[in-house]
Amino acid sequence: MMDRLKTRWIIFGGLFIVVTVSYLLRIKFESTASPEVQKSFTYLEELPEGSVIMVSFDHEASSLPEIRPLALAMLRHAFKNDLKIVGVSLFAEGTAIGYRLLTETAGESGKTYGADYVFLGFKPQQISAILGMGESIMHVFPEDYLGTPTDEIPMMRGIKNYEEIEMIVSIADGALTVHWIEYVGGQYDQPIMAALTAAMITTYDPYLASGQLYSVVGGLKGAAEYENLLGRQGGGNRGMTAQTTAHLYVITLIIIGNIMYFRARKAGRE
Amino acid sequence: MSSKLFVDSERPARLYGIMSFRQTRRLLISLLLIFSASIGHASNQEPVDTAWFDTGTLPTLILSLAAIFIVLYSIRTIKAGREFFIREIPGLKAVEEAVGRATEMGAPILYTPGWGGDIQRPTTIASMNILSTVAEKTARYDCRLIYPTHDPVIMAVAQEVVREGYASAGYPDRYRADDIFYISSSQFGYAAAVDGFISRDRPASVFLLGTFEAESLILAETANSIGAIQIAGTDSTIQLAFFIVACDYTLIGEELFAASGYLSQNNMILSSVKAQDVLKILIGLFIVIAIIWATIDPSSTWWRF
Amino acid sequence: MQQRLPVLICFVAGILMFLQYFSRHPVARTVFVSINDYWQIIFAFTLLVGVAAFGKSNLRQIGRGIDTPYRFIALSGLVIMPVLAIIGGIKIDSPFQWAFEYMLAPMQATVFSLLAFFVASASYRGFRARNLQAAVLLGAALIVLIGRVPISEMISDSFPKVTFWIQNYPSMSARRGILIGIGLGSMTTALRVILGIERTYLRGE
Repeated sequence: MMDRLKTRWIIFGGLFIVVTVSYLLRIKFESTASPEVQKSFTYLEELPEGSVIMVSFDHEASSLPEIRPLALAMLRHAFKNDLKIVGVSLFAEGTAIGYRLLTETAGESGKTYGADYVFLGFKPQQISAILGMGESIMHVFPEDYLGTPTDEIPMMRGIKNYEEIEMIVSIADGALTVHWIEYVGGQYDQPIMAALTAAMITTYDPYLASGQLYSVVGGLKGAAEYENLLGRQGGGNRGMTAQTTAHLYVITLIIIGNIMYFRARKAGRE
Repeated sequence: MSSKLFVDSERPARLYGIMSFRQTRRLLISLLLIFSASIGHASNQEPVDTAWFDTGTLPTLILSLAAIFIVLYSIRTIKAGREFFIREIPGLKAVEEAVGRATEMGAPILYTPGWGGDIQRPTTIASMNILSTVAEKTARYDCRLIYPTHDPVIMAVAQEVVREGYASAGYPDRYRADDIFYISSSQFGYAAAVDGFISRDRPASVFLLGTFEAESLILAETANSIGAIQIAGTDSTIQLAFFIVACDYTLIGEELFAASGYLSQNNMILSSVKAQDVLKILIGLFIVIAIIWATIDPSSTWWRF
Repeated sequence: MQQRLPVLICFVAGILMFLQYFSRHPVARTVFVSINDYWQIIFAFTLLVGVAAFGKSNLRQIGRGIDTPYRFIALSGLVIMPVLAIIGGIKIDSPFQWAFEYMLAPMQATVFSLLAFFVASASYRGFRARNLQAAVLLGAALIVLIGRVPISEMISDSFPKVTFWIQNYPSMSARRGILIGIGLGSMTTALRVILGIERTYLRGE
């Protein structure tokens, strides 16, 4: 038991050192955009000025270091192209983060709350909220995050339900985007785009291949690629060095583990 | 209305002991009238689609009805006295071992349904079925069962399931409601609390059965570090990979749903599990036909619906 | 009666939600919206149940002297955040936002970051080439690990392509097979619940 714990501490300590040193070194890795990131970027780039997109902050505070670069890159891009954004959150913790990110990026682009973007806040019971918005967004969110009646917000007057929304961007760290795909995509034919933490990307591969999910921007790598396309470096590129060295560290551990395994097996035979 | 609906509830019921046809019809008509009365204003505001059936959903309806028919038919055939075989599932077989080990060590058992599910999710219902069996065994061996959860509704249901398990085993006095408790709806608040419990109280066996997300490996690795025997199962394909690495036994996807029939040996439930196999064969056939068709005629799209 | 009424409600709600999917008629829409509204209302009340249960459980443990400091911290968090929101509002420069961004978010991220450490230890322990199948799996894992970071392009242009192929063909087909099984399992479980065959979630006969 002690040996096992000792090994664990060595592995943990090694990872801590590798990641910390990587952040201090600031080596820059060039990466070309993957087809998925390119597809997402092109879609937002080609949307006509004034089109409405819904951005749903379906994540918790825990994934903020990974989610923030992703969200900032996509929101900056949307505001740069004069798209209108309806922000919502289906996780309580995503609410304050969503409001902060929208306010921050809107401020950079000189956008006005209520005319260029709104944040409707949080609604519990995700499936119910998602399905309800297909009938009426105002019914599900009678007030915005700050307590203003939704029907008094100029931008919301022409937006009844998903029919007025070009694309739903679900920024998620879990399986919540599946609800958007299955209920909104399936029932209302609404295209869905996802910005996901790296750990969740493979969960969505089947939806992506079947066309139920339009595209995915995933993890720090996706954020870095999006930042490169946008021409503005950010947290995605900064995190790439640490991610690369952490992957190499894990590969090294796997190799060491196998060497020790084969040595033990050989010793056992002898 | 409600009194009229249930006055004759003691009559022989025809729908699996729930209600008679007349009751069902009366209930549906009543509900329809209530809802119809409240739509007047909505239909006056703008042109709406008044067709009762949305033709775009026809393929889904046909497939759904076919699937439901197969399941119901399988359940019905049970009356003809047919026997069902279900292959051995090591994870479920190990339940006895896990409870026995905890009893021998005098340590508690931890059971978590994960953070990702809510009560309407079939995975949570399937997890409750296994919890019921585990509760019966822990009651019999007088072993402490701890069930932390992230959802107050799951907490309430789990309390009832465990209480019922203890009562079925004949030891209702051993049930401790305090051991089934709500922690936090926050994913990592929940993970931190469960991790803390595992580190401090060192359970001998850990059941990770339900819907898990990123907290799966954090919980499984912590339990692994204290040497607990772990039985895991989830419907999340990505978390399955973590469980397979870190746990002793893993129920892969549908095994979790088959648990109810496997553990209870209830023929009605087993027959519905059997229906899954029939449906799987049909889906397999459809895939093979579609592949051949699409290869011969690449422009064909009938198989895409 | 203890079981009949809940099973009846479950049956009616299940059938109605199934049928409404196939109709765009205003009656179907109203049924759908009404059930959704009640769903939201019920959930709001369950949150109160959760808060009450959390408070009760922690106070009882404090009374018994079990983990007292931790339980005080948990209870103070439960009280302080709503009080901050009520007194100072929830705007960008409010104390609530400050507490959220500089206390809650870093604490949550810290627990999430444990995942990286556990992935490292699990990889070390679990990825062993014990037989041919395990060796193939190990090889695929190494390729994907390298393929998911920019360094792969420096090694070879083919790396991202091979990674893409592994993720989108062998891996996805296996996952789809599991997903189909899960989908069918979910469906039959849901049917058993709607029809009242599966009643474990209900107490008593």
